[in-house]
Amino acid sequence: MPLAFMIVFGFLNGTAYGLLLFLLASGLTLVFGLLGVLNLAHASFYMLGAYIAFELVRLTGTFWAALLLAPLIVAAIGALVERVMLRRVHVLGHGHQLLLTLGVSYVALELAKWYWGTASLPLRPPDLLKGSIDIVVGSYPIYRLFICAAALVVLVCLAVILFKTRLGMIVRASVSDSEMVSALGYNVGNVFTGVFALGALLAGVAGVIAAPMLSVYPGMAADILVDLFIVVVIGGLGSLPGALLASLMLGWAQSFGILFVPEFAMLFSFALMVVVLMFRPLGLFGERSA
Amino acid sequence: MTRRSSHILRAGIAIAIFVAMYAGSVVLPKAQLFTLTDVLILGLFATSYNILLGYGGQLSFGHSAYFGLGAYSCALMLLHVPGIAPPLAMLGGVGVAALGGLVIGFICVRRSGAYFSMLTLAFGMLCYTAAWKWRTVTQGDDGFGAFVPAEWVFPLIGSIKTGDLAQMYRVVLVIVAVVLLVTWLLMNHTPYGNAIRSIRQNEERASFLGYDVFFAKLVNYVLASAVAGLAGSLLVISHNFVSTDVIGIDRSTEVVMMTYIGGTGWFFGPLLGSAFVVVVGDLLATVTTRWQLVMGVLFILMVMYAPKGFSGVVRYLFDRSALERRRPL
Repeated sequence: MPLAFMIVFGFLNGTAYGLLLFLLASGLTLVFGLLGVLNLAHASFYMLGAYIAFELVRLTGTFWAALLLAPLIVAAIGALVERVMLRRVHVLGHGHQLLLTLGVSYVALELAKWYWGTASLPLRPPDLLKGSIDIVVGSYPIYRLFICAAALVVLVCLAVILFKTRLGMIVRASVSDSEMVSALGYNVGNVFTGVFALGALLAGVAGVIAAPMLSVYPGMAADILVDLFIVVVIGGLGSLPGALLASLMLGWAQSFGILFVPEFAMLFSFALMVVVLMFRPLGLFGERSA
Repeated sequence: MTRRSSHILRAGIAIAIFVAMYAGSVVLPKAQLFTLTDVLILGLFATSYNILLGYGGQLSFGHSAYFGLGAYSCALMLLHVPGIAPPLAMLGGVGVAALGGLVIGFICVRRSGAYFSMLTLAFGMLCYTAAWKWRTVTQGDDGFGAFVPAEWVFPLIGSIKTGDLAQMYRVVLVIVAVVLLVTWLLMNHTPYGNAIRSIRQNEERASFLGYDVFFAKLVNYVLASAVAGLAGSLLVISHNFVSTDVIGIDRSTEVVMMTYIGGTGWFFGPLLGSAFVVVVGDLLATVTTRWQLVMGVLFILMVMYAPKGFSGVVRYLFDRSALERRRPL
């Protein structure tokens, strides 16, 4: 493989994985900012998204239906988890909320293993996105470019909603002072549920679009959870720009790591995290202490 | 009851339980002894976890790293160091786990709350991945076994034949009892324990009182790691086998659940939790293959409705003073 191709290849792979991570990290960090909860079940929503997409493809035969519906189903599950369980333990403090999300992720994993088994299931990309495309230095799988594009579209939508609409303004206001927003007459409880569901939706989208590339298997939640945590530790919990920068940094560190020193690729992300923690203990953009 | 007589009563109960359990090694059938050995070892592991969670207020999701470090170090020493005595290999396991706790703790205890949880989980996964991928040393998922010598000597108990469940059970019982006693004294009846608890209650105040918060947290983390390493060493010696099972993320989750179900507010709660999870898990396994699902649901229900675990429920039922009644479970 010529060096130029390796660099372009590594860059694109890293970008695809980084944007995928950011789809997850943005939801995690928004939920943390608003509810003060680190949601361990966040990666489980991602896993559920992939499994539900697999099921929908089996039922309807088309990937696009799965891409549209699966995230909505996951969002509904997320809303349920917030309303029925998380809200109840709110008074007990953050530790208990964390433990609750741990329980939810454990049960979700066991349910998935029960219903779908432990083998990894293939999910074929739609015909439109099969094959490779010629980029000046070589050929590159179309599907990975689609991941970048899809993630960017979702993220632009998220940014528009958050920063350009009244709804987004209420959400951002609730992040900085939910009591004040409540005093102004808004139903903050609904905002909490909505944001939690939105986070689940984003995780579900990530699960669906990751599935054809990584296949669907029970360990996919645990596999991405560590990268996700490294991202929010580096970027700073509660910060969207930090999460974006850290996601891309991690994506690139890993894809170049795998290309050049495959055995130690995982150590790269840890080294990155330790260095950031030493010099900026709150993360690159972190302000709020957790 | 006066304070003094209540102390004597407690000591009496503890000694009675120990004697009964020791006598059990003669009476009980082999299958039960094997389960009971696991209960003791996992109980010790859960107790080490509670040093962090119950006393330090730190929620770690990577505690299996130290259980695994102890387990692998002990097994590898027995395998590669010719003629090494198993008790010495156990100490080696404890040492390596403590060293691991020192290095990783040095990074993790700088942060608290959610960050601490994330960091410990990430490093736990790192240790698991190392054990899984470094096949030339650990043989990955397959694991390796048959490293304990056929006959070895344990101080005070005498000569131990490998495969004799009753003798192994006695060794585990004595070690666990001694370590639990020492740890209980340390956490509940020394200035050290008070310092750790005061840091949990209010870190800022503790630091104004002159405690070196970072140092105390680090020492506590190393202590918890060392005890976890001892539990891991005991497990590989009693099973005569080690695989990535000892260090996986499932084991970290399991220890959180055991500790929590038993109750973090009482020193012996985690022991109760591990007995419950192992025994009820075994019973459920005879009825359904999905017993982990049942455990998970139970765990969620306990977090929601009985946040102090079983020992909290027991205390609530028996200690019905006016003050207790107003408190939640």
